[in-house]
Amino acid sequence: MKTPRDILLARHRAVEPKLDAIRQAVVGKLNNEETKEPGFPAVFVSWFLGCSENLWRELIFPSRRIWAGLAAVWIVIFIVNFSQRDPERLMARKLPPPSPEAIQAWQQQQRLLAELIGPNEPRAAQPSKPHAPRPSGERSLLIMSA
Amino acid sequence: MNLFSPRAFHWMKMPAVAANEHLPVHQAREGIPEAWDTLFRRYQLPLYVYVFELVHHEQTSLDVVQETFIAAVRHLGSLRDNAKFGSWLFGIAHQKCIQHWRRQGREEIPSDELGELPDEPENSPDELLIQSEQEAEFMNLLNRLPLPQRSVLLLHFVEDFSLEEIARITGTPVGTVKSRLYYAKAALRELVKGET
Repeated sequence: MKTPRDILLARHRAVEPKLDAIRQAVVGKLNNEETKEPGFPAVFVSWFLGCSENLWRELIFPSRRIWAGLAAVWIVIFIVNFSQRDPERLMARKLPPPSPEAIQAWQQQQRLLAELIGPNEPRAAQPSKPHAPRPSGERSLLIMSA
Repeated sequence: MNLFSPRAFHWMKMPAVAANEHLPVHQAREGIPEAWDTLFRRYQLPLYVYVFELVHHEQTSLDVVQETFIAAVRHLGSLRDNAKFGSWLFGIAHQKCIQHWRRQGREEIPSDELGELPDEPENSPDELLIQSEQEAEFMNLLNRLPLPQRSVLLLHFVEDFSLEEIARITGTPVGTVKSRLYYAKAALRELVKGET
């Protein structure tokens, strides 16, 4: 009586010398620089690669057609956006400089506007006269004299 | 003689893989070649068995095992839990198999639509005991299973990985693994019945 594991392993025992050779080759190539506990950048890179691989495997690859469709839609949106924006810029760039008549007319309009609404500078506010309180007797004398 | 008589498969409890193994993963992190040698020696044959039973080609399987070892040395820093070294290593090998199939223009392991599962306690892989006369037939039955079910069953048989570990190795949800394992075992029983 054997377990499935025993059967499976026993079937492939013959390949063990080849596996030993592979193991020895891999371990033989190891040197301390390669296998020592890596520094923070190496750990971060390794972690980042692991995460991105998981992200690719679990999130993107299973629904790759949907992601590709979304990417295509975004590309179309960008193309449409840029194709609408460019003509405006080109038109702005291509506008001819205003003619002297137009400048003259504009200056005339400015002048007319200035005449209608007066000078632009706000009038300086007249300082209010200081109001000193007077004694009531003095005020009554003023009234009587008037 | 009927190889698939009811006596062919006996169900009993027995530990499949040595429990509480103390693997020198910590020492491997420190760059000790002997530690790597111990780790690889422990996993080289189970890893090869798993890969071979998926790809059915000796040289390819050896190449995948070698690539897995090299990748393990390079990326050990990404392993968080030392106790998960085995499942992590099998996960690398599984990915290498998928890469191999992609290179050959074959789709990755096809998904299988499986129905609802009846509530059943998780069995040990060594509840199944096979008489020596039935070994060839057992292998034949195993290879007739669909690839996703075979993959899950191999991981269960070879290393007695938990459902969560198998899910991590194969990159599939735990529920899918559970149903694949259930249906693989059921298919194995059914094939046995059919052969009798």
